[in-house]
Amino acid sequence: MTIEQLRSQFPILEEKVYGRPLVYLDNAATSQRPVSVVEKWNQITLKSNANLHRAVHKLAADATAEYENARQAAADFIGAADAHSIVFTSGATAALNLVAFCFGEACIKPGDQIIVTEEEHHSNIVPWQLMAQRKGAVLKVLPVDDNGRLCVEMLDDMLSSGKVRLLSVAHISNVLGIVNPVQEIVAKCHQYGCAVMVDGAQGIVHQKVDVTAMDCDFYAFSGHKLYAAPGTGVLYAKKQWLEEFPPYMGGGEMIETVRWTGTTFAKPPHKFEAGTQNISGVPTLVPAFGIATQMREQSIDSEAIAIKDYIYDTLRKDPRVKLFGCPDNPQEKIPLFSFCVDGVHHEDLALILDKMGFAVRSGQMCAEPLMDRFGVTGMLRVSFAPYNTMQEAQQFITALDKAVNMLR
Amino acid sequence: MTLEEKKLQVVEDFSLYDEWLDKYEYLIEQGKNLAPFPEESKTEDKLIKGCQSRVWLDYELKDGKMYFKADSDAIITKGIISLLIDVYSGRTPQEIAEDDFGFLDQIGLKENLSPTRAGGLASMVETIKRVAAEVKDKKEASDDSQVLSADDVKELAPLYENVVLALKQVYDPEIPVNIYDLGLIYEININKDHKAYIRMTFTAPNCPMADMVISDAKTCVEDVPGITGCDIELVFEPAWNTSMMTDEARVALNMDFDVDDNSQE
Repeated sequence: MTIEQLRSQFPILEEKVYGRPLVYLDNAATSQRPVSVVEKWNQITLKSNANLHRAVHKLAADATAEYENARQAAADFIGAADAHSIVFTSGATAALNLVAFCFGEACIKPGDQIIVTEEEHHSNIVPWQLMAQRKGAVLKVLPVDDNGRLCVEMLDDMLSSGKVRLLSVAHISNVLGIVNPVQEIVAKCHQYGCAVMVDGAQGIVHQKVDVTAMDCDFYAFSGHKLYAAPGTGVLYAKKQWLEEFPPYMGGGEMIETVRWTGTTFAKPPHKFEAGTQNISGVPTLVPAFGIATQMREQSIDSEAIAIKDYIYDTLRKDPRVKLFGCPDNPQEKIPLFSFCVDGVHHEDLALILDKMGFAVRSGQMCAEPLMDRFGVTGMLRVSFAPYNTMQEAQQFITALDKAVNMLR
Repeated sequence: MTLEEKKLQVVEDFSLYDEWLDKYEYLIEQGKNLAPFPEESKTEDKLIKGCQSRVWLDYELKDGKMYFKADSDAIITKGIISLLIDVYSGRTPQEIAEDDFGFLDQIGLKENLSPTRAGGLASMVETIKRVAAEVKDKKEASDDSQVLSADDVKELAPLYENVVLALKQVYDPEIPVNIYDLGLIYEININKDHKAYIRMTFTAPNCPMADMVISDAKTCVEDVPGITGCDIELVFEPAWNTSMMTDEARVALNMDFDVDDNSQE
């Protein structure tokens, strides 16, 4: 497949903004949708829209089959041995909240410790803070160094207290764009009896994930960053955790029987899927996994790597630019670049770039503690997807230069 | 140039540029030309709340008109605040507080900003209107304030004499000398509204007749023609002593001057 063929599957890339061709470089916030995803949504909505699992009629059976088929597809996509390890949520944030709540209820005593890292998205900080407050647990923070690398060597020390019950870490930081050594972290934590949750919101997009090899206890990601419908999300959890966890939300579908004397619950994963699920959205994960797999083909991937190397080199060499997240090994970097330009406010840059047709992100990227760590009020972030071209990358560098000159 | 003319001019300036990129360039120029804002004035209270970038706003009042100063760490924001203060500096607080800032809609600024910036713009407008309204209210309050004109003072002078005469009608029943000659009155103030304020003491803190004497004094002073009210504050600092009495009082009490001198020690 060529990039042109890939692009043709994403009609929005033909859009113009302010009369200029759109260059979409905010893929880390949300990716664009291919036709196959839109068609899947339409097919479900127009031909087999019905509530899941309950009714005996044909539409309900079709909708249920599509939904459960997506569960198997999700398990296959991330190398989970059993589809019953897959819980559908509204996104990575919901998945993180689910685990924080249930793990807290099932496993946390006062004085226990939880570790998160300094580079986490707010969604992987706040649920743990809430749980720690509720359960009297202590939240510890694993720092990052000046290059944006996680200080994994400090883990042994932190874990040796024997009080750490769970560590939650981003597979890839949404600000630094560095692939964290999650497999190593998991192995280390397990030595100390500490469970590991991986926030895969960015990781799932840029890495071939195999949760079985990774051996993590939990892995969460959102559909909307992976070309699927928004409001979809996947939580992978080792089955023993799902068996041990109490219910998260109560309501339809998560029950077995309801009596005034008490309720018994459905088996996982349905136990954690209360209420009407995202009937039209979840099945779009299947074509989304399909296109994500196609994007890993050599022809597409080599271009993506070339773009990444080009931007990484150009920004690092620009004396006006302070780039955050610079691993020694460029293979650890994904095409996501957060930076500040000397003497120029990030928001000004984003505004000017927007008028030039470039969609980029500015601000704190939902990672205030990390902004504080680097002593900045915000950054500019450009994040590429495989449908972005080298020409767009070059245009971006030219536009950035023009914008900086305008603003300085 | 009137405020309306100035606003028209800004709208026209903006219409010279077809593209928003050029309009931004114009704003950036405005921002760069903004008069410097002293670093030491960039205090928390001058920060406009609700902007993603930091914006400071300050003003001076000269001849009843407001003159604004501002700064921001983001240049487009600086351009926007510069545009605003250019339009509104040199206007009266009333003009600013009552203005609808509608010209901003005409130039389409809000629609062409990011949602966070548009929120920031709204905060800037709100802040300018708020400080103008505060200045206006302060001015209105001071218009009917307590400032005394020369005529006021002339009018008040006879009232002081009459208040003293009234106080001389008031006695502590146990002492045959009135409270004024006894030296119990420390201060008399009469304001523009002809309200009297009196600070007084007693010979001793535990004087059993104190309440009655105060109430008598208040009634007598309020009966003075022209006096609209009387507040009495009781103090024991400085403490009363016999040296505070008038000569008339000493005579009335048959006190000789030697006794007085001793009592001072």
